[in-house]
Amino acid sequence: MPVLKLTLGRLVQAVILLFVMSVIGFAGIHAIGNPVFNVVNLETASADDIRRATIALGLDQPIWRQYLLFLGNVLRGDFGTSYNYHQSAFALLVGKLPATLELSLSAMVVAAPLGVAIGLAAGRQPGSMLDRSLLSTGIFALSIPSFWMSMMLILVGAVETGWFPSGGRGATIVIAGLEWSFATVDGLWHLLLPTLALAIPNIALIARLTRAGTIETERMEFLRFCRAKGISSRHILLRHTLPNISAPVITIIGLQFGGMLAFAVVVESIFSWPGIGKLLIDSIQLLDRPVVMACLTFISIAFVALNAVVDIVQATLDPRIRLSA
Amino acid sequence: MKTEIIRISIRVPLLRIVTFPRALLAAYVLLALIAPLIVPQDPYDPLQLYGWEASSAPGTIGTAGFTYILGTDGLGRDIWSCILFGLRISLTVSIISAGVAATIGMAAGVAAAYFGRWVDVAIMRLVDLQLSLPTILVALIAVVALGPGVDRIILALIIVQWAPFARLARSVALTEARKPYMDAGRLLRLPKWRIILRHLLPNSIGPGLTLVPIEIGHAIALEATLSFLGLGVPIDKPSLGSTVANGFQYLLTGQYWISFFPGLALFGLVASINFVGEDLNHRFDPRRIDR
Repeated sequence: MPVLKLTLGRLVQAVILLFVMSVIGFAGIHAIGNPVFNVVNLETASADDIRRATIALGLDQPIWRQYLLFLGNVLRGDFGTSYNYHQSAFALLVGKLPATLELSLSAMVVAAPLGVAIGLAAGRQPGSMLDRSLLSTGIFALSIPSFWMSMMLILVGAVETGWFPSGGRGATIVIAGLEWSFATVDGLWHLLLPTLALAIPNIALIARLTRAGTIETERMEFLRFCRAKGISSRHILLRHTLPNISAPVITIIGLQFGGMLAFAVVVESIFSWPGIGKLLIDSIQLLDRPVVMACLTFISIAFVALNAVVDIVQATLDPRIRLSA
Repeated sequence: MKTEIIRISIRVPLLRIVTFPRALLAAYVLLALIAPLIVPQDPYDPLQLYGWEASSAPGTIGTAGFTYILGTDGLGRDIWSCILFGLRISLTVSIISAGVAATIGMAAGVAAAYFGRWVDVAIMRLVDLQLSLPTILVALIAVVALGPGVDRIILALIIVQWAPFARLARSVALTEARKPYMDAGRLLRLPKWRIILRHLLPNSIGPGLTLVPIEIGHAIALEATLSFLGLGVPIDKPSLGSTVANGFQYLLTGQYWISFFPGLALFGLVASINFVGEDLNHRFDPRRIDR
């Protein structure tokens, strides 16, 4: 029952969040400028052309009516037609989805095990040389501006050595009607640098949290009992410490996965990875409101949904959280 | 609290006060302060730029008679000068935004804790709303909604950053509000504003203050990222982020210096702030006994 209550609360919160975000995003794009000037060719278009284009896009209506219209359409699953690509904004988004998903997923597949392993190694002997050097390395890793790190990866990995391509997705393969690159060698090759760029800060973050959890758990009574029983320290670490810190680690992995979907904006722009982040930035610059709204809504829903899943998973794993909810 | 700090600083030898991150951070601040006096070229003044010297490699001697120690960018601007002026923008933007965000956030947090009921609900719902989205996304939406310009960036960063302060200050103020001195204040019939401003607030902001350096680091990184994406400070007022961004198109042809050096400066700045902040957190962490 508490899990149900938690889910309902999350749902209400998500709806409010999406509503607020849509109003702000909608008004924001409206405030920047008139999208019509990006749609018509300004050198050849007559005043009449511009007027017709404005009416065709529905931009002649007052802003509140545009919003209500938009809201009504969204509830029917229609985000409108992109001003620039002349196709459904939703279809455009779905087309870019695999690229972003495989980038974030592969970054997480790299970051999660590495981060947990580093965190366990560091937290096992707090204050040791290994611990202190890992801790400092982590702070460095979290301080690197991600866009600069991406550029330096391109500089070293692509421009100077020529080992890796500097951008793009490479060869893709169609699975279930969507294009994926992880299944081809060329695609994997293209995936490597952006994955690294997205994974490095997350390795540091996960390691930090795992370390803190490990130190806290290793101080507990039951671990002293394990040691007294003569269980090997490796066994203790993997069988007793790790399960006890799994809840916060799962939380951070879930949250960071949502963060990656958003942070992909930067990495995708630099590696010209044709995903949702790049679509969002390009569309903001083109004032392509339907696409911007579709992207923002998607990222928000994904993030909120991930949060909710994490909460629910935690509540099922940990009785203390379940009872206090 | 004040006497405490003085006592520590007298006992600790000088070498342990001057750690590397602190020295680096001090050097950054100093360079930013005296930048107009030491730059060889004013990168904002088009009359001092020579188009034919665009993208000169580091070490080239320019027409104006000085050496471009870090090279020039695509417009012929001296990278070293751009870095120093960019530092000024990055530091100003981040310090103002983190400072204002801390003030607003902690005031809101303490108010939520003291007044409770609907004030608490309203403020904390807002905080939850904001923390339930990734910061980069909130900043992106805020910048899109507010438009370009340095003042808008600061506003966007404040919008992003006040929430963590509010949450922290509220939790501290909640435990403070239960302490006897609060009852004493009420028994003395002190006016509400005096209880809040003179007693509750000063006792609730300590942990929040240790968050300030970390948030300054975040603000620098966020501003740079937004500028990099072309949504930050205008192109004629280059911050560190936009200078790195300007160099991106030259990177692929091997003219690394336009992006490399400003990015390195940015990295060093954020890293030194994070190390100092980490140290501060460590020192004021109540769970550590041997501090």
